Amino acid sequence: MNSEAIVKETRAYHCLECGVCTSSCPVARVNPSFSPRLLVEKAIFGFGDEIVRDRDLWSCLVCGRCTSRCPSNVDYLNFIKEMRIEASKLGQKGLFSHDGIFNTIMELQSLSLQQKRTFWITDDLEVADEGECFYFVGCLPYFDLVFGEGGYCDVGLKPTDRARNTVRILNKMGIKPVVSNDERCCGHDLLWNGDLEGFRRLAELNLKTIKKSGAKKVICLCPEGYVTLKRDYPLYLGEQDLEVVQLYRLLADKLKEGKLNFVESGSDNPVKVTFHDPCSLGRIAEIYEEPREILSGIPGIELVEMERNRADALCCGTSGWVNCSSCSKQIQIERLKEAEATGADILLTACPKCGIHLSCAKYNSDIKIEIKDITDLIVEKMV
Amino acid sequence: METAEIRIGVYICHCGINIASTVDVDSVRDSISKLPNVIVSRDFKYMCSDPGQELVIKDIKEKGLNRIVVASCSPRMHEPTFRMTIQQAGLNPYCLEMANIREQCSWVHEDREYATEKAVKLVSAAVAKASLLEPLEEKEVEVRPEALVIGGGIAGIQASLDIADAGFKVYLVEREPSIGGHMAQLDKTFPTLDCSACILTPRMVEVERHPNIELLSYSEVIDVSGYIGNFHVKVRKKPRYIKMDKCTGCGMCAEACIMKGRIISEFDVGMGKRSVPYIPFPYAVPSKYTMDSENCLFITKGKCGKSPACKDACSSDAVDFEQKEEIVELDVGTIVVATGFDLFDAKEKPEYGYGLYDNVLSGLEFERLVSSSGPTQGKIIIGGKEPKNVVFVQCVGSRDKSVGNEYCSRVCCMYTAKQAHLVHEKLPDAKLTVFYMDIRAFGKGYEEFYDRVREEGVRYIRGNVSEIIKKGDRLLVMAEDTLLGEPVDIEADLVVLATGIVPRRDVKEVANLLKISQSPDGFFLEGHPKMRPVDTATDGIYLAGCAQGPKDIPDTVAQAKGAASSAMTKMARGKVKVEVTTASVDTFVCRGCGRCVEVCEYGAPNLEEVEPGILVSQINDSICKGCGACSVACPSGAISMKHFKNEQILSQIEAVI
Amino acid sequence: MSEEFEPNIVGFACNWCSYAGADLAGTSRMKYPPNIRIIRVMCSGRVSPAFILKAFQMGADGVLVTGCHPGDCHYIAGNLKCEKTMGTTRKLIDVLGIGEERLRLEWVSASEGSKFADVVTDFTNRIRGLGPLSGKSQG
Repeated sequence: MNSEAIVKETRAYHCLECGVCTSSCPVARVNPSFSPRLLVEKAIFGFGDEIVRDRDLWSCLVCGRCTSRCPSNVDYLNFIKEMRIEASKLGQKGLFSHDGIFNTIMELQSLSLQQKRTFWITDDLEVADEGECFYFVGCLPYFDLVFGEGGYCDVGLKPTDRARNTVRILNKMGIKPVVSNDERCCGHDLLWNGDLEGFRRLAELNLKTIKKSGAKKVICLCPEGYVTLKRDYPLYLGEQDLEVVQLYRLLADKLKEGKLNFVESGSDNPVKVTFHDPCSLGRIAEIYEEPREILSGIPGIELVEMERNRADALCCGTSGWVNCSSCSKQIQIERLKEAEATGADILLTACPKCGIHLSCAKYNSDIKIEIKDITDLIVEKMV
Repeated sequence: METAEIRIGVYICHCGINIASTVDVDSVRDSISKLPNVIVSRDFKYMCSDPGQELVIKDIKEKGLNRIVVASCSPRMHEPTFRMTIQQAGLNPYCLEMANIREQCSWVHEDREYATEKAVKLVSAAVAKASLLEPLEEKEVEVRPEALVIGGGIAGIQASLDIADAGFKVYLVEREPSIGGHMAQLDKTFPTLDCSACILTPRMVEVERHPNIELLSYSEVIDVSGYIGNFHVKVRKKPRYIKMDKCTGCGMCAEACIMKGRIISEFDVGMGKRSVPYIPFPYAVPSKYTMDSENCLFITKGKCGKSPACKDACSSDAVDFEQKEEIVELDVGTIVVATGFDLFDAKEKPEYGYGLYDNVLSGLEFERLVSSSGPTQGKIIIGGKEPKNVVFVQCVGSRDKSVGNEYCSRVCCMYTAKQAHLVHEKLPDAKLTVFYMDIRAFGKGYEEFYDRVREEGVRYIRGNVSEIIKKGDRLLVMAEDTLLGEPVDIEADLVVLATGIVPRRDVKEVANLLKISQSPDGFFLEGHPKMRPVDTATDGIYLAGCAQGPKDIPDTVAQAKGAASSAMTKMARGKVKVEVTTASVDTFVCRGCGRCVEVCEYGAPNLEEVEPGILVSQINDSICKGCGACSVACPSGAISMKHFKNEQILSQIEAVI
Repeated sequence: MSEEFEPNIVGFACNWCSYAGADLAGTSRMKYPPNIRIIRVMCSGRVSPAFILKAFQMGADGVLVTGCHPGDCHYIAGNLKCEKTMGTTRKLIDVLGIGEERLRLEWVSASEGSKFADVVTDFTNRIRGLGPLSGKSQG
């Protein structure tokens, strides 16, 4: 798609130059050379060439704050995606963090290598090779090796805990999910970094794997995986006969049905927690209330909201393992301080990647708040 | 960033037939000529010859080449040559990349087809990297003409004198009240039997009088920052409670002290007593008194009689209980580390009864006992009697893995021989026995001395002592004579343990302070065990004496002169070239996580707060050695290693497969 | 050239020990298979896990990383840092299905020309035995 077509497709020409996008943009607040408004205007005035060569094209976090607030409904998210696809064709790319290792890991998964990605499954977990319900684990096993204990960029996390949590919760709900070594990266980061072909390859392989397992339903914990399978797979590969469910939506229903129960609190003093809405879960998938409903169902937990929550929530500061910079750090520290300001003991995230990025920012800083995943809490308290 | 068009010239060397007999040079040349950015691709018989180099220079000038690839021998061989060549033609020397098609291709392969294919890949990788090479500027830093010498033993004294004699200012920092170190405690020195004090004292006095040496005694280095040429050093001068400028060294204070004769003398290793105000030994430098603050009643309890007797006794009003510690800041260009050693604590070998039996002495205690300036004025008296039977035990704390010291202390064999000789001299009738594992008499005149001692009747028994127990008022020394293969028990009136040399207790702190490393034995690690024996991993910091490992006096003096010479070489030139291929930080990208700081061995990166709450890593390229570990550790990609950037290496990977 | 599978092997060698060891193998005219192509880095600690993965992605069948023996590193402990990151890398390539046996880390000193030749020969034979990295053609 050329720049003109992108302007048309994303309704960029409706731009009123009001600046709401730029003043909503977390990146623009810390990196004045980045401006969603100017990007769109450049495209309108025919300077698409300049955009695709601009390193800052990769600084956008695709957090969607601009899109959700734009009075003209300009679709910034797709504007960025399409521009990045064009830039990729010219060999342009962002500055990869971790020397680009995650990008390579994603690309390697499009080969027909027999992965051993289910190493995290412990004996107490019930999983199947075939069945109704497919648990799409995502990149957690790889994150474990890099960010977990002994990894070369240890941030004090064990990302596969989230996967074990998920299976434990599903087992409790009576679901024995399919977990497969043939699952690939969902392709989210390749797509949003402009590698449409790479994304397609992964998506096709994943659909093949899911279908082969006989599953009709895919459960995602990772919000990015969820939106990718739910929205982008049909968009790029046609409608699929698959029901894609986000774990928290499923659990909120189970809670209402009385099938998800928690232990009574042993203490009169509730544990104060605050909740960080991940961009993909919140603004993109519009799942705001379900995690909160689950939290309010857990005795002994008091949820205190951050200043900016739900659609106004601030991004965790890094996306797609590109252009992670001093700006990302500032956004993250701001978010962590906002969490600390609530007086909560624990900052809960609902996205494993948010967990990693926020933990990374916490590393060697004076931030004290504990960072946990909602599933950690559920597994701890469910009966 | 270079924005001009990349124009590469590629030169493939035949190296006579060294390359050409195995690699089809013509085919390589033709394949490479098709690569992007390659303007010329040539082959030549000997690229390193003058005509070969001329060819490159001519092409650079005529064809406007700005990157050069030479495919020939190892870059370890001719990279400097070709860097000079392209520099002559006006190019930055770092715009060169070499492909090693001789040592790593033609010489190790036989199949011409495979070797040629491999050569093409290797040259392609060099071309790929060359396209991304960036010019780099060579940098020099100024070297201040001042040196810091840490430690005032014979090593530090010698190094200070040499540097000062060369005309440079020296700050000599000594922790104790006097310089002199362990050598000052020794009686005679092997193998020549010079009196230790007689040869050391003149040098100590020279230090005191030298116009270029500033002695900071009773002081400790507490912080070192900076890099070669520009170290910034903080020294803590401990309070002596005696004014240096007023004290005449008369000793009236010590005479008057109510604690007189009740405090253990460190210099006499516990065998003599002293007062609170003390001078460690008669010929101390500086010859000024120091108040032992830990044992002074007035300092610890705030009260000493009606008024402190020492203060009343001092006719020059030198006693000053108000004195505070002082922090002195120094700027120096080079540092010599001569912090010396500790004596092995024989209590770690309880089977020898050291510390339990009064007639089991360490080697150093015996030195004091036999010294005419020692507690008995040199008379060998134990328990009020002259010993009739003296046993020497070698390798106490050396060559002994059970106490963690695998190494040989290198002095004990000879000092034992010397000590046996001294006993023989003073008590000709005494029976002397030495238990040993091996005798290491490796130095000049050492074997001869060992022979002389044996001729004097000293009995050497090969075998290590297993235990020493009390038998009446004598000692029973038990061992096996391994040459006869039978047990041997000897009753002794005195046992002298040849206690070895161990690293200083605080060696780790000093290593951290200076950012230098330790070898597995705990001593400071030299730059290279053979070729850089006085250097450390940190440029501008040199090692002298036992701080680097056990040594006798001649070796210590020689190494001290070597360290002094290394320091002087840098200071004499006044400038030093620093590494060009260093790491650099994109401060915009840097997240200030500090992983680079954690991973760097040299302390080159530092986190600095550029705005409130915003930390950014800054790499001091005068310190950086260019290993690239920080670049790997950096999560955000903010650090790049000049000349070995990610994109440069990735392009090589892509081209080589 | 024969029809037998000839693996692509990428080598990383540190400038001070291993690259010099490789040069010594050359000056001593030792023979080893031509499959390996060496990329020189100043220190094995410079080898990012991302480089190894990239090499496999680009079509390498094996990767050999060589550094100074522990205690001999020109940069004090770069080789030990390399050992740590290679630990992560080994796990990553195993989970990815590349197989950890396709990555090898060896210490080769400047005097060990024959060790270098032996290591390369052995590694090449092993990779040849393992066959091509499966699925490479689809990449």
